[in-house]
Amino acid sequence: MASISIKNLKKAYGTFSVLHGVDLDIADGEFVVLVGPSGCGKSTLLRMIAGLEGVTEGEIQIDGARVNDRHPKDRDIAMVFQSYALYPHMTVAENMSYSLRLRKVAKDVAARAVTAASQKLGLEPFLARRPKALSGGQRQRVAMGRAIVRQPKAFLFDEPLSNLDARLREQMRAEIKKMHADLKATSIYVTHDQIEAMTLADRIVAMHGGVVQQVGSPLDLYDRPANLFVAGFIGSPGMNFLEGRAEKDGIRLRDESFMAMGDVPEHLLGQQVTLGIRPEHVVLDAHGQGMPAHLDLVEPTGFGIILHLTLNGLPLKVFTLDRAVLQAGPMVAVTLAQEHLHLFGPDGSRIGGTSDPAAAA
Amino acid sequence: MSLAGTMGGHTRKPWLKRLADTSEPYLYSAPSLILIVTVMLVPLALGISYAFRDIQLLNPFSGGFIGLDHFRALGEDTAFYRALKNTLWWTGASVFLQFTFGLILALLLDKPFWGRGVVQALVFLPWAVPSFLAGLNWAWLFNPVIGPLPHWFFALGLIDQPTNLLSDPHYAMWGPILANVWWGIPFFAITLLAALQAIPRDLYEAASIDGATGLQRFTSITLPFLAPTIAITVLLRTVWISNFADLIVVMTGGGPADRTQIVASYIFTQAFRRLDFGYASAIALVLLALLMAYSMLIILLRQSLLSKD
Repeated sequence: MASISIKNLKKAYGTFSVLHGVDLDIADGEFVVLVGPSGCGKSTLLRMIAGLEGVTEGEIQIDGARVNDRHPKDRDIAMVFQSYALYPHMTVAENMSYSLRLRKVAKDVAARAVTAASQKLGLEPFLARRPKALSGGQRQRVAMGRAIVRQPKAFLFDEPLSNLDARLREQMRAEIKKMHADLKATSIYVTHDQIEAMTLADRIVAMHGGVVQQVGSPLDLYDRPANLFVAGFIGSPGMNFLEGRAEKDGIRLRDESFMAMGDVPEHLLGQQVTLGIRPEHVVLDAHGQGMPAHLDLVEPTGFGIILHLTLNGLPLKVFTLDRAVLQAGPMVAVTLAQEHLHLFGPDGSRIGGTSDPAAAA
Repeated sequence: MSLAGTMGGHTRKPWLKRLADTSEPYLYSAPSLILIVTVMLVPLALGISYAFRDIQLLNPFSGGFIGLDHFRALGEDTAFYRALKNTLWWTGASVFLQFTFGLILALLLDKPFWGRGVVQALVFLPWAVPSFLAGLNWAWLFNPVIGPLPHWFFALGLIDQPTNLLSDPHYAMWGPILANVWWGIPFFAITLLAALQAIPRDLYEAASIDGATGLQRFTSITLPFLAPTIAITVLLRTVWISNFADLIVVMTGGGPADRTQIVASYIFTQAFRRLDFGYASAIALVLLALLMAYSMLIILLRQSLLSKD
């Protein structure tokens, strides 16, 4: 296992720049998830670490050694592809032992490694089959097995679960987490699914437009998003945003209603700011106390209920576990929990301690 | 129906109606069947029948049925056995060289480079040249009076004096083979290139991460993926080339002293030089049988390879 260090990494295709200088240090045994929308550069970053894409500028180090110009085969990393990329003309066992055979590992050692990996992944009954005779989930396991037999320095995952159905994805997610707890392998995992990112990661790297937006623990990103992008990307249903002008002691929203807040920093006075609040932090008041809002749409998920409201002409999503709202009339009263308000400045970046993690906890 | 049948004659349909019912499927398939029979089977049967008849264009009394006489003559025809040997040599060398260079060309064209589209179009060009034109062109290239090749070979020290390769009894076969290789490379290059481009790129990426060198990626991914295409193209080309007399007829006419005579060109010589259609048909029938046997062999081989998967 190894640490990976990325310094001011840039990638451009001709004049088209994809990564604008990424810095990242991944500790030995850490599980890091790169998350972001399509085209944010997360897969490119992963492929550069694997050696499948050249480095335009900057440096990649594995265990302190610069690997920029090292061929993928000499980097000693394993990768699980979105398409699995299993060799269709080899059996499951041959697929898993291919890398060992290339390294001229003794036959019995290789066989033991394949047996151990297939036991771990429940693949023993399928060892003699070819990939086309396997289901999607089984193929996914073979791709993982191929990665773990060699005990590489690091595992790279490129959206490994996105071709599976929802139920299987949930199951494999848990298995990957279990496997990581078991092997303690340095892992970098790329996904666009923020649930996968939240559940798997020791640390999340949120990316957008080729720039790292925030690096932190899952709850860090959830409770203290560094900017509007992270705030909107992490969490489902997504955070509500209310735009307004900063005034002393509060925010004047676009519809001229006033939202009182504790301490608005002085340099913001008169500026355009955005107020953020997560749907579960909007409180519905049964006794009619709070701001009146119109109930537009109800989405019961079984676990809870998502309500779409209009508050002073602005859309507002609410998440509640209280099923009583299903009987509520067209008008409800809401209050925004003060301690859970997020404030973002004119440039979209977070303003100070509006949501202290200690207070949120 | 069967119930109605047991009830007696009253419920039976009139015979005309029954006839229409039973002949219905045949009537539907008749147009295509008639077409196939007239266009394919009748000429084939006629051609085969010639092999058992004495048909010489210059002999007005010929045309009678002579049984297996042609085949008996063929069994003692040393020119035919030499042609058979030459056919093996001609086909084997042509297919092998065409395939080898075609594969190399396909691998080179598979890598992206500037102007690849133009080069791909140019590579296809020889295939578009009519075979007779290609034969003439190469015959002139080998001719020391107008062609540069003998002088180049002489300058390289390959031959003692700039003579025509096509008139050298020992090496004459190389002339048509060279022309054939030039003419047939595009076929292999284009079909193999198409097969190469159908191989998923991420397999190569997975293999290089697994630690495979370029050569190992070629043997463990490229070759297994190309194998079905290779099998089918080599089979097809073998049959075509062993039947392909154009270049030989144009360049050497089978000479010198039958050194470049293959079975296909021997048939041509018998039919259109000696005008003995009966004997030519008999040779053609033997060639047909040999090629059918070869094709069956390859198909069986392919089946057994596929069933192993």
